[in-house]
Amino acid sequence: MKFISTLSDWAHQLHSPAHRRGTVALVAGLASVGGVGSYFIGGPSWLTDTLWLTAAAVAGTDIALRAFFALRARAISIELLVTIAAVGAVFIGEYWESAAVTFLFVLGGYLEARTLARTRSALKDMLALAPTEVTVFRNGSEINVAPHEVIPGETVVVRPGGRIGVDGAILSGRSAIDESAITGEPIPAEKQVGDKVFAGTVSHNGYLEIHAEGVGADTTLARIIQRVEEAQEAKAPTQRMIERFASWYTPMIIVLAIGAYVISRDVALALTLLVIGCPGALVISTPISVIAGIGRAARDGILIKGGEYLETAGRIKAVAFDKTGTLTEGRPEVMTVTPLSGVPALPTITDEGSPRTRLLQWAALAESGSEHPLGRAVERALPKSYVGPRADSFDTAPGGGIRAGWQGRKVEIGRPDWIETRVEQWPAEAITALEDLHSRGETAAAIAVNGIVIGLLGFADRVRPDATAALQALRKAGVKRLVMLTGDHATSAWRVARELGIDEVRAGLLPEQKLEVIKTIQRESGPTAMVGDGINDAPALAAADIGIAMGAAGTDVAIESADIALMADDLGKIPEAIGLARATLNNIRQNVVIALLTVIGLLAGVFANEVHMAGGMFIHQISVLVVVVNGMRLLRARPVRERYILPAVQQPVRAA
Amino acid sequence: MKTLLRSDELNCPSCITKIEKALGRLGGVTNAKVHFATGRIEVEHDAEQIKAEQLLSAVREVGYEARISAF
Repeated sequence: MKFISTLSDWAHQLHSPAHRRGTVALVAGLASVGGVGSYFIGGPSWLTDTLWLTAAAVAGTDIALRAFFALRARAISIELLVTIAAVGAVFIGEYWESAAVTFLFVLGGYLEARTLARTRSALKDMLALAPTEVTVFRNGSEINVAPHEVIPGETVVVRPGGRIGVDGAILSGRSAIDESAITGEPIPAEKQVGDKVFAGTVSHNGYLEIHAEGVGADTTLARIIQRVEEAQEAKAPTQRMIERFASWYTPMIIVLAIGAYVISRDVALALTLLVIGCPGALVISTPISVIAGIGRAARDGILIKGGEYLETAGRIKAVAFDKTGTLTEGRPEVMTVTPLSGVPALPTITDEGSPRTRLLQWAALAESGSEHPLGRAVERALPKSYVGPRADSFDTAPGGGIRAGWQGRKVEIGRPDWIETRVEQWPAEAITALEDLHSRGETAAAIAVNGIVIGLLGFADRVRPDATAALQALRKAGVKRLVMLTGDHATSAWRVARELGIDEVRAGLLPEQKLEVIKTIQRESGPTAMVGDGINDAPALAAADIGIAMGAAGTDVAIESADIALMADDLGKIPEAIGLARATLNNIRQNVVIALLTVIGLLAGVFANEVHMAGGMFIHQISVLVVVVNGMRLLRARPVRERYILPAVQQPVRAA
Repeated sequence: MKTLLRSDELNCPSCITKIEKALGRLGGVTNAKVHFATGRIEVEHDAEQIKAEQLLSAVREVGYEARISAF
């Protein structure tokens, strides 16, 4: 009973093409080995021949069918070459050759299919990130639906440890969310009410209610997968070249084989030429590297638009950076805190803070009523737990500063020259401190309480902490020329450039001028990449050979217009992307060399009479597998530069 | 309407034309495109005339196992 049901299960499985392929390979293999065994132990020749013919028939039919379907689509395929060779071998009585050729071809095909599936799996893992079920509030109760059945506007419930199935905003709850699937960042992000969340991410420790905004194909996850797949499908120039080559090469092999027969009258030779002429390894050489390279990059939050961009990125000689928001954090931060002697403490604070802290607290008080970015910067400079008093009265002097009142005191913050007009004395200490700030290129603000200046603050757009290391890594990856482009003025530009070790700066540029600079760099140094935020750098990004947009998670514009979109706001991804591109280019070259060397070696072997059909097919299949496995190495590859670990250091706020 | 099928079994460039022709022969299908690199099969068809399951059967008949996918 059990035997019958196993048998019928197995027969049922034959309906699936993948299983069929494996079964064909198995049967043909057994028959071939059986024939070999029979041959060596001196069995009757009819047994040996029958076994080999069976192998050839089983495997050969599978191959012949494929060749037939291809012919119907008017294509001359590799399967056609193999079919002719196998049939021809039977005709000249070479049953072993026929069996070996067909069996090896089918076996190779089976192994290739399996490894190719594993290469595509980088993307499959992303597809599996979307949960199969999502809990939704509908008609007053919680029900489970498929993620794409959620209606935008509905409330989705996510339990601790659960996968988020839609894009949206948090209505209630807070949690640490693992966003590595979208941004490539392994450290969970703390999210609370009002924050955006993405489908495909995991909520660790909080119960969340989410207002669904993007659903199904409308989520960042789906868009990323779509972009990655389009990129994998887009043909790289090398690939197009090879396919064009293969389309005339394959028929030419048939002609060559016929020619060889006509000249030498040796059928076996002609058939062998057919077999070794199969360009299997060459044809798969580029696609496998491109698929693996793009899939691997996507796993790290780097979206490369196509094989073409992968190839170009591997040849980049110069990189131009937009300054604000790319090399810097894009907002002012407090850089220097200079209290003048005798800073009075806020009476409400019981512990005596340092003079620097007290100065910041007064500044925060004065700014408490304003929406000014400098006010936000002061808030950030104070400990998160600090909740200071708010000003009782509040008045802005345009172009000058803020006049605030609190508990009968006058507290003012503003430009130093305006504060100078508001105080009785402008001490020498203040003059020195101001000069100090100006020499560093920082924007200065002075604070006064009750008509006495108590200190100065220096603000600047802070350089990203990871920038220096990222630029070093770029140089190590082989990019020789780094240029900063900015619309900002030269002093602040050079301040940043000096800190980063960039020796080329073009400041005061309008967007069209940035484009011109890119073109000049291209003329002078070769393929040039441009890094920006996609929106106001658009002309330059378009002109560059590779346009790179940072922090693209959620921004459609950047994902659309950039050639490489970095999902996380991390400069370190740029050298990683270029390193990966170089590794992919190298991989393609390796594969092409392997393929060509194999064909040349086999040709030499044929003419030296060392290689025959079976051996030729065997070596050919090995070469295809080698190329595929080599391509898969990219999935595991550590790119050219080593991943650097920088401690998350907050640039210290300096006292004078 | 557009239906997206995915197959893990495309492993020879000649399967592309084979599947596209098989799908194109079905009544109600206006366009079929097979992407070898990713295993995606995009089919544009009249939802009244032919259902997604029938597309799957057509693909199975030429020798490939596929499934319907939302994206």
